[in-house]
Amino acid sequence: MDYVININNLSKSYGNTQALKDITLQVPKGQIFGLLGPSGSGKTTMIKTLTGELKKTSGEIQVLNMDEDQLSTPNYKAKIGVLSDNSALYERLSIYDNLKLTCKLYDVSLNEIDTILEKVNLIDDKKKVVSKLSKGMKQRVMLARTLIHKPDLLFLDEPTSALDPGNVDKIHQILRELNEEGTTIFLSTHNMEEATNLCNCVGLLYKGIIQEMDHPDNLRYQHSTNQFEVETHDGELIKIENKPENSGQIEQLIASGRVKRMYTDDPTLGEVFLKVTGKDLGS
Amino acid sequence: MNTKRVLAIFEKDIKDFFKNTSLIIMPVVPILLAVFYNALFDDFIPLFTIFIIIGMVFAGVTSYCIMIMMAEEKEKNTLRTLMMSPASFLDIIVGKSLVAIVMTISTLLISIVFLDVYHVFNLQTILGSILLLLFFILLGIGIGLFAKSIAATSVYIMPIIFIFGFSPMFDLFGLEEGHFVNVIFDALPVSLLMQASDEGSWMPLILITIWVVVAYLFALFSYQKNKNDD
Repeated sequence: MDYVININNLSKSYGNTQALKDITLQVPKGQIFGLLGPSGSGKTTMIKTLTGELKKTSGEIQVLNMDEDQLSTPNYKAKIGVLSDNSALYERLSIYDNLKLTCKLYDVSLNEIDTILEKVNLIDDKKKVVSKLSKGMKQRVMLARTLIHKPDLLFLDEPTSALDPGNVDKIHQILRELNEEGTTIFLSTHNMEEATNLCNCVGLLYKGIIQEMDHPDNLRYQHSTNQFEVETHDGELIKIENKPENSGQIEQLIASGRVKRMYTDDPTLGEVFLKVTGKDLGS
Repeated sequence: MNTKRVLAIFEKDIKDFFKNTSLIIMPVVPILLAVFYNALFDDFIPLFTIFIIIGMVFAGVTSYCIMIMMAEEKEKNTLRTLMMSPASFLDIIVGKSLVAIVMTISTLLISIVFLDVYHVFNLQTILGSILLLLFFILLGIGIGLFAKSIAATSVYIMPIIFIFGFSPMFDLFGLEEGHFVNVIFDALPVSLLMQASDEGSWMPLILITIWVVVAYLFALFSYQKNKNDD
């Protein structure tokens, strides 16, 4: 398989504090990989190590077939895009001028500005000064800036933190479209909905260790009690184990007309995280 | 170094410069002072006043501009975005320095035109001015990277303006020859430039070069401190 990110036994320490412990991880081309964990779990350290902003303590890293010593080269930087919750724009300049700078730095045609602004739905605002934009609009401009050079690999560190649900949906939609066009996305988040909705694979990161890693549905399924819960019109709650031999019992209940609601007890990713680490994602 | 990227950063910073009121005011001050001195002294403008204005241009325009530009990029996190682009740190520094150089040369030329003192610019003074430009750029970069915030640069710029910019003024205090205060202030870069102009000597230029090396080491130290998040 063609891996865009290949990490073996990666560790990173700040003095005596170990931020990442012996992480092994492969991200195939075209995947949206999500690193899910609470604040301080090592998500940003992981992204900064992969983008060449931090040096690893031990282990091996290969990103886009480049070794760690090549991660600070212009060649590598031209192939990646990085957006974090503390990325910023030049507030006194217009949206167009901000993107024009990026085009010139990445040697991209200025015609791409209109194309990308149409994509993030800001084409009519391109002459607006950034300081006059809302937080959601600024985040979309930053996303446009990150995408304008069509990176092979996109690093997103908490890309939608502090945004309202409307803007979050817009950004998720753009990211899905981008992924369909072939861009691999490496995302860190503490938002379980974001991880569930966007990612093909999620790693649960806690205390610098990836505790579990799989497709979000698989993680939820693995931690479910594997039961159907049937609530009847007369208030009874019937639990039926999810096995083929119980299908008749379920059919009978439906046929009797007693069923008011029926659902599985699959946990959310947040509940899975709590079960695995004993730590709430929000805390 | 990539010329295209340097010019892109220059173009962005020059646009930003003219929209930043705290920066745009800086070149106005020495020009107004030049107009004032020209009106004050009819025939002969004392050498120290000319070099006070030159010192103000270097300290207040060159150093302060680049200091603020670097500190602002750092404080507002745009420096990280630039560093994550294919532009090298040298591209970023040179692009920003070009803005400071353009503003310094323009301010200096306008001030000299108002003062009408072309005679002070012998070969030594011209070469010394180039070294001084380099010194104040490196000093500004060093402080801009070292300062924790834009507000902190306002504190750092004061001693720079008073010690480095106004050093020719200490001639006015009438201290005896060889007094340690005189010795110290005579060894400061702008005073050295004044000596180069007055005496036509090359020695002050060698001493200014030493100041440039010191400023370079300071800028390098600040850069290493900011290079990564380790």
